[in-house]
Amino acid sequence: MNVAAAKASVCSMAQRTDYFALFALQPSFAVDTAALAVMYRQLAKDVHPDRFANASAAEQRKAVELAAELNDAFQTLKSPTQRALYLLRQQADLPEETTIQDNEFLLQQMEWREQLEALQEQADLKALEHFKQALKQARSEIDDAFASCVEDSQQRLQAERLARRMQFLDKMFYEVRQLEERLDD
Amino acid sequence: MALLQIAEPGQSPQPHQQRLAVGIDLGTTNSLVATVRSGIAEALPDADGRVALASAVRYHADHVEVGCSAREAAASDPYNCILSVKRLMGRGLADVQQLGEQLPYRFQAGKSHMPFIETVQGAKSPVEVSAHILQVLRERGEAALGGTLTGAVITVPAYFDDAQRQATKDAARLAGLNVLRLLNEPTAAAVAYGLDQKTEGVVVIYDLGGGTFDVSILRLSRGVFEVLATGGDSALGGDDFDHAIARWMIEQADLSSDLSPSEQRYLLQQACAAKELLTMQDTVEMQYKNWQGVLTRVVFEGLIEPLVARSLRACRRALRDSDVELDEIESVVMVGGSTRVPLVRARVAELFNCTPMTDIDPDQVVAIGAAIQADTLVGNKRAGEELLLLDVTPLSLGLETMGDLVEKIIPRNTTIPVTRAQDFTTARDGQTAMVVHVLQGERELVSDCRSLARFELRGIPPMVAGAAKIRVTFQVDADGLLSVTARELGSGVEASIQVKPSYGLTDTEISGMLKESFENAANDKHARALQEQRVDAERLLETVRSALQADADALLTEQERVLIEERMRALDTVRKTEDINSIARHIQQLNHATNEFAARRLDATVKAALAGRQLNEMEG
Repeated sequence: MNVAAAKASVCSMAQRTDYFALFALQPSFAVDTAALAVMYRQLAKDVHPDRFANASAAEQRKAVELAAELNDAFQTLKSPTQRALYLLRQQADLPEETTIQDNEFLLQQMEWREQLEALQEQADLKALEHFKQALKQARSEIDDAFASCVEDSQQRLQAERLARRMQFLDKMFYEVRQLEERLDD
Repeated sequence: MALLQIAEPGQSPQPHQQRLAVGIDLGTTNSLVATVRSGIAEALPDADGRVALASAVRYHADHVEVGCSAREAAASDPYNCILSVKRLMGRGLADVQQLGEQLPYRFQAGKSHMPFIETVQGAKSPVEVSAHILQVLRERGEAALGGTLTGAVITVPAYFDDAQRQATKDAARLAGLNVLRLLNEPTAAAVAYGLDQKTEGVVVIYDLGGGTFDVSILRLSRGVFEVLATGGDSALGGDDFDHAIARWMIEQADLSSDLSPSEQRYLLQQACAAKELLTMQDTVEMQYKNWQGVLTRVVFEGLIEPLVARSLRACRRALRDSDVELDEIESVVMVGGSTRVPLVRARVAELFNCTPMTDIDPDQVVAIGAAIQADTLVGNKRAGEELLLLDVTPLSLGLETMGDLVEKIIPRNTTIPVTRAQDFTTARDGQTAMVVHVLQGERELVSDCRSLARFELRGIPPMVAGAAKIRVTFQVDADGLLSVTARELGSGVEASIQVKPSYGLTDTEISGMLKESFENAANDKHARALQEQRVDAERLLETVRSALQADADALLTEQERVLIEERMRALDTVRKTEDINSIARHIQQLNHATNEFAARRLDATVKAALAGRQLNEMEG
């Protein structure tokens, strides 16, 4: 048996984990999220702290760490935006703040912001729903575009640009959700 | 295999010995204890055959009374009869005064910010009051099962914040219970319901109890109960219905609003009785002193409409958070006594567009689910499907940043356990200390969120503003409890805390109470502590023994194995003595010796799980 090897693999657990590999997937933007969820539940059965309620304190602590990591991996791959950013980080370093110009999208951003502000005044749930659908449509177009360029290193800049657009849309969806909650109160 | 010979004759526990575990529903109005016997989960009755224990504690000069006799005495002895104490758990004095109702107690501030209640036995914290209830249930469990409990699962409202959870855990500790897990009440209900009905798919649990409201949306899939979103209000329940009726009576009878505590209690009892009658009938006659009146169901519904609407808002929010569409919902399950109110049922049916399930006993389902989880956690294998609960944090967790703002680190409805880190930096040149202020809540401003804890990271080497890199790590464990670590990455200076909520008991207060409770305990404190240590020792020995048997060859060197075996023998010898400290020390030493082994085993487990999956993939 090889204790040294086993030990090394424990020590490097945190750095080593490739989220795609954890779920037996090839790195790709196209992920079957239903199958991912099934796999997640299977893995969770093995590492959840509940499985170690009778184990030593050390094993319990380790289980919390592992389960937290598994949860993080699942959340990352489940969300298209997080998945896109993760893929880009796997390929090369990704700066925290966006530095890329995206003039084409800037206009669109401003337009959506104005619409959202108008909706806040109107307090009209139907119009809000309409706006949400428009965002969803835009979102799915960005996703498609990203899928077609992420694997081509020549188009890295464009892929980054699209990932930033996804982040912006997430922010919009979050604000729409906030507004929905306010209107509901 | 040499390893099999470690166990000396007569020392090995029977391989299939059942460990004793219970589930406890510590409710606002009533509390229950349940257990699994011969594969069947059932609530345990008292000597008179009643399963519900009134969550009421009455302090006498020389003893403490728990149960419905204590509740009945509330109007005649209001200061010493503590009812609905769950509503005070983990709250500060100011919160309690904001509950929007007059409570007939005399409060005083403790050393911590907890509201202490003045009684004939001195000032009592809500934690102590709850501990009395838990102790009665523990004794009931031990009597029924005939032995010391290995542990208990205690349920809490899903919407309880960190302070409220910590207070519940402290109460259990005071009552001499080993808490296996704090379990969210709707999740417990889902377990009992799901296993019983063999349901798959999305299920909504609407849980309106005496003092708290929870809604959880879960996906049930082959023994895995995955909470998708949860929401609620930890200060909304049937008690509020009673208060609404009482206010109506005050208005109708033209009473002055500053009633004596006895009068208040009496009014609330009348109100509660009227509420219950209105479930079956359309009108109820009421009377108070010289006043007589009729409360119709229509008027009653008008009184509680805003409260029910509040619960529905929480439902809609949870639904949005879960990303589930209405037509995906398989069933809506009603839990908690207050779901007997017809208006509640009607409104819930309307919202989810389906008839809510009411055929399982809404009062027992939580305790039964907790018992099933307790049984699983102590390792009593259930026949059939494995059970796994994946729960979430109900409220966002964050830190105070510049400008009185809250930076969210873990958003609400994140699956637990979870670890998240975020880097911060210093604001001033030469800054050597940083305050970490931990908050819980959804709002943007610090003052609108719940302050959980505040601690300081000191000894940061002086640098220009913005040069230091301080990583703050939040970890929420499977009980939903938070711990926070802050670390300056350049120098490695570290500060960490298990979040002790601002409204919790201080450690000194707890140890004082523990001491007191031991002194007052009827049964011998030493015997109990010794018994607990022995149970721990046996459990650990058994765990290590089976771990060695399974993995020693693959994961340990000869030297490492010899060391572990030596310590096992040492622990096995001392556990038969009366020396509590020595047993505790040997437990620690064996734990220490097996740390590395434990880590390797877990890693191997993950690898094996993964390898198995990949193989399946290929076959499929």
